[in-house]
Amino acid sequence: MIDIDWGKFAIVAGVVLLASVVLPLFYSGGVRLLETAGTTSAPARVGAWACFAVCIAAVLFGLWVVVPQFH
Amino acid sequence: MDTTLLVTVVLVVVFALVFDFTNGFHDTANAMATSVATGALKPRTAVVIAGVLNLVGAFLSTEVAKTISSGIIKTDSSGHEMITPALIFAGLVGAIIWNLVTWYLGLPSSSSHALFGGLIGAAILGAGLGAISWSGVITSIVIPALLAPLVAGVAALIGTVIVYRMTKQATVPHAKPAFRIAQTVSASLVALAHGTSDAQKTMGVITLTLIAANVQQAGTGPQLWVILTCGLAIGLGTAIGGFRIMRTVGTRITPVESPQGFAAETASAATILASSHLGFPLSTTQVVSGSIVGVGLGKRLAQVDWGVAGRIGLGWIFTLPAAAVVGAVAALVAISSTIGLVAVAVVAVVGVAVIFRLAAKKPVNAGNVNEGAPEAAPQLQGAAA
Repeated sequence: MIDIDWGKFAIVAGVVLLASVVLPLFYSGGVRLLETAGTTSAPARVGAWACFAVCIAAVLFGLWVVVPQFH
Repeated sequence: MDTTLLVTVVLVVVFALVFDFTNGFHDTANAMATSVATGALKPRTAVVIAGVLNLVGAFLSTEVAKTISSGIIKTDSSGHEMITPALIFAGLVGAIIWNLVTWYLGLPSSSSHALFGGLIGAAILGAGLGAISWSGVITSIVIPALLAPLVAGVAALIGTVIVYRMTKQATVPHAKPAFRIAQTVSASLVALAHGTSDAQKTMGVITLTLIAANVQQAGTGPQLWVILTCGLAIGLGTAIGGFRIMRTVGTRITPVESPQGFAAETASAATILASSHLGFPLSTTQVVSGSIVGVGLGKRLAQVDWGVAGRIGLGWIFTLPAAAVVGAVAALVAISSTIGLVAVAVVAVVGVAVIFRLAAKKPVNAGNVNEGAPEAAPQLQGAAA
């Protein structure tokens, strides 16, 4: 009987689906807000950069995962 | 060390580096294909970035190398490796030949599966079916190979739908340049992750050989010169360019636009990072191909060329067994005598030369890599909305 760790596969699937919803949502949200902001609306621009910040944080987290020297 | 063993070890190291080099130019497409297809990066810039990141990645992680050197081929009851350096050499020949055949055909097949297949074929022939850890094969190769492209594809599909909904089918101003940037960043992450997993595979093979030849202590990690040469080989292979496969991945499966490229690379990067963090030796190629099919399905009016996708799928199914057969045949001759060993090396070199000659007749390079890409019929984004 082969012992298969389905839990690990579930973790990978969960992480991937989460990343693929969160990143496109925030990045395209940022792009959209930037458009809405134009040159006038400061709150929209702040919102846009907050969205981009989430994406940058996700990339940095990705780097942290790749580089074992960080953890 | 007697002469035969010395010759064998030298051959293994050389052929392992050759495999690593083919791995580099076979799999450049993985990370950078969509970026090149959408024009986010120029072809030469893309391969240089990928090459450098592959080299950097090679120095970073060792999780996958452990699976290679301990997960698939068993040790006998006294703890000795059941695979000999001559068998490893034969396995590498199988992997290199299959990798080059699929490269010639422009098929994004898995270099990892070619390597596993070659080693498994050689090990079965030399040491019997019992030398293979079949549960290791199922859990580290078969199941990830089935699940990873599926998961990445579904995730990329969802990502694509979200991106196009949020940006009114990417018609808002700045959408195109913004997604090009995002795509480049996510593609770079894929390239880095590729370096951490694929260069590791070759390091694992060389280390396994040095241990099997009793010149390195069992249970120790790769030596510095091994890490350095493997990193350079894969980086060089990547930078010299895998335009042949890049064209299939970036333009033949489905026309890719920058928002889709972003969704595809994000799903790929997440899949590769999450699974290599947990120690699965995933095929970067299969993950990226799965993502691209996903983004093709996720965009309205985009079409996935199922003929191309089917050919790629067939290539995946055949990769492991085909490399195993070549590996087994090579093993049959290689373990007979030193002359047999050298003969296999000579035949392999001739085979490689023939494939390169054939490929040179129908070259795919930085100039024609985007033939048939959406850029050739530009600005369909708004029209498709």
